Amino acid sequence: MSILAYNGGAIIAMKGKNCVAIASDKRFGIQAQTLSCNFDKIFEMGPHLYIALPGLATDTQTVQQKLKFRLNLYELRENRRIHPKAFASMVSNLLYERRFGPFFVEPVIAGLDPKTFEPFVCNLDLIGCPNIPEDFVVGGTCSEQLYGMCEALWKPDLLPDELFETISQALLNAVDRDAMSGWGARVYIIEKDKIVVKELKTRMD
Amino acid sequence: MACGTPHDMFSANPLWHNGPIPGGFYNFPGSKTAPLYSGAQRFHTPVTTGTSVLAIKCDGGVVIAADILGSYGSLARFRDLHRVHKINENTVLGVSGDYADFQHLQQIIEQKVISEQCLDDGFALKPRSLLCWLTRHLYYRRSRYDPLWTNFIVGGIQDGQPFLGTVDKLGTAYEDDHIATGYGAYIALPVMRDELAKAKQSGQPISKEDACKVLERCMTVLFFRDARSFPKYEMITLTEEGYEHHGTKTVKANWEIAHMVKGY
Amino acid sequence: MSSVVDPFNKFSYMESGSQRQHFSPYADNGGSVVAIAGEDYAIIAADTRLSSGFSIYTREQSKLFQLSEKTILGCSGCWCDTLTLTRVLDARMQMYYHEHQKLMETPAVAQMLSTMLYYKRFFPYYVSNILAGLDGEGKGCVYSYDPIGHCEKSYFRAGGSAGALLQPLLDNQIGFHNMEKVTVAPVPVEKALAILKDGFISAAERDIYTGDSILIKIITKDGIKDESFQLRKD
Repeated sequence: MSILAYNGGAIIAMKGKNCVAIASDKRFGIQAQTLSCNFDKIFEMGPHLYIALPGLATDTQTVQQKLKFRLNLYELRENRRIHPKAFASMVSNLLYERRFGPFFVEPVIAGLDPKTFEPFVCNLDLIGCPNIPEDFVVGGTCSEQLYGMCEALWKPDLLPDELFETISQALLNAVDRDAMSGWGARVYIIEKDKIVVKELKTRMD
Repeated sequence: MACGTPHDMFSANPLWHNGPIPGGFYNFPGSKTAPLYSGAQRFHTPVTTGTSVLAIKCDGGVVIAADILGSYGSLARFRDLHRVHKINENTVLGVSGDYADFQHLQQIIEQKVISEQCLDDGFALKPRSLLCWLTRHLYYRRSRYDPLWTNFIVGGIQDGQPFLGTVDKLGTAYEDDHIATGYGAYIALPVMRDELAKAKQSGQPISKEDACKVLERCMTVLFFRDARSFPKYEMITLTEEGYEHHGTKTVKANWEIAHMVKGY
Repeated sequence: MSSVVDPFNKFSYMESGSQRQHFSPYADNGGSVVAIAGEDYAIIAADTRLSSGFSIYTREQSKLFQLSEKTILGCSGCWCDTLTLTRVLDARMQMYYHEHQKLMETPAVAQMLSTMLYYKRFFPYYVSNILAGLDGEGKGCVYSYDPIGHCEKSYFRAGGSAGALLQPLLDNQIGFHNMEKVTVAPVPVEKALAILKDGFISAAERDIYTGDSILIKIITKDGIKDESFQLRKD
């Protein structure tokens, strides 16, 4: 079994109208054995910028710290907030530096443009190939299930509360068909003037 | 270890020998899906082979074409090897893959045709029956782990309607109104699909003459790009009017422009 | 190198000639099947694409097999195994009919299929089967199988290459999973059809082995109604 599926996890990010959402499950396990139901995979990288790092848990945390370090240097040097696109390039660069001994994470980025508040979602593979679509991105061990749900439920110009309902239903029903994901979930709805974090109750089996 | 999870100092012992590990995943069916009666695997490799066969349904019949080369690895060894055969008045059979395996089947099929003629009941082997028989035979051989390394196209007239079907070495069989084997499936099939879609749009089934022209074009393209192909090919039509062998044709290649191909 | 062309390896320049080919008795020919059962109906649908690797063999291959007036089987996976399995199944259906002078009912077919699959436990039919039909009381039922004959009865099921994409959607929309303040009830046939089509459209977006079109069969006490629906063809 792939090392990317050693700890399990599920991530989605979706675009809405003037908003984005990013959601993850909270399981941390080793293969089939669940160890924790409160494992963060989504990290704040700015006032309107979040990154999720599904994959090998140790690399999730390492990559998060390395990114935070590079981001701090960037903001000190530039004296401004990073644009989500620039941040995606930063992640891509970091991952490609380890082209032949990669970090086993497949990052998902969601954010708003610091000036125009344009929604932005992006995901990358473990060696940093970026994909910037117009609708949604998924990651983790149940990406097939997530693709099925998102393709059916997503539509353009969702309002924040509709976006919350869509992303939650997509995540919940997908993780229920994956033995390695679930055990709680957290959703971030990112708008221009507020960020709402919601905890979802899920099946705990 | 049979189950996919590697056993190391950090994981628990398997529940039983080669069994699942507590808290681990049991990999089903494991790396070995083949039956476990090991010993020498008896299946052979293709030796004298034929490349693509192309066939399409046309107005009131089928057209089928294949080149006449028997390859011996990369050697163009047999240059007059016929790969499209008339089985009876309403059936033709095209073959790609191992020619020896085909000849083995050809003997059986010829005997079947003779036996049917001896009955003298006015019935003959129909194309769908032949395809069905081939499918069962090839599936039987693949299940014995002793496959016949061939790919057949059966064309003909079944109850007044054009018939076209194919079967591969596993016994994977299907019918369609345009079929290509080997590299033809990648190179010629898109051309054939395009032409048939055009005909469908016009509302008229493609005529026999047009179908022949399509296959001529396809054989030319295949000759250009398939390294195991040959400029000489035969084309056969089978319509309500009957069986017609269009003789051995030659791809008209234009080498005048060869000097312009550069950059490899 | 084991060379047939040059058994004594006299001519090493011929190394690129006839080489030992890999043989696997199985192929993955793709395809997806969805079945939904209601109070007095059962729907079963399958896409019509038959493929292998990156090539599409045919765009119009039905993967649904009518076993009786009340029972239909949907198959996806290794097509040569599907052909063989359904052929043997048809024969067994006829033998049952002539022995008992009645058609086999769906639950009986379901049990027989399980037995037939397990019979080949150590050289399995690589087929994902979903059986849909009406039971003895005329109620809709769906049975799904793994390749070696594990059988489960349910009201909705997706299987095949896009099974993982379709199943959570059915859980949500037909099984009302993760929904609050809803009355869990069997869905009417029109709604089931709409969800089914939406699911296949979504699956065809992401699964290269699902597409071209779908064939839908609606089983009611009045008979079987056919429907077809176009999907993307790339």
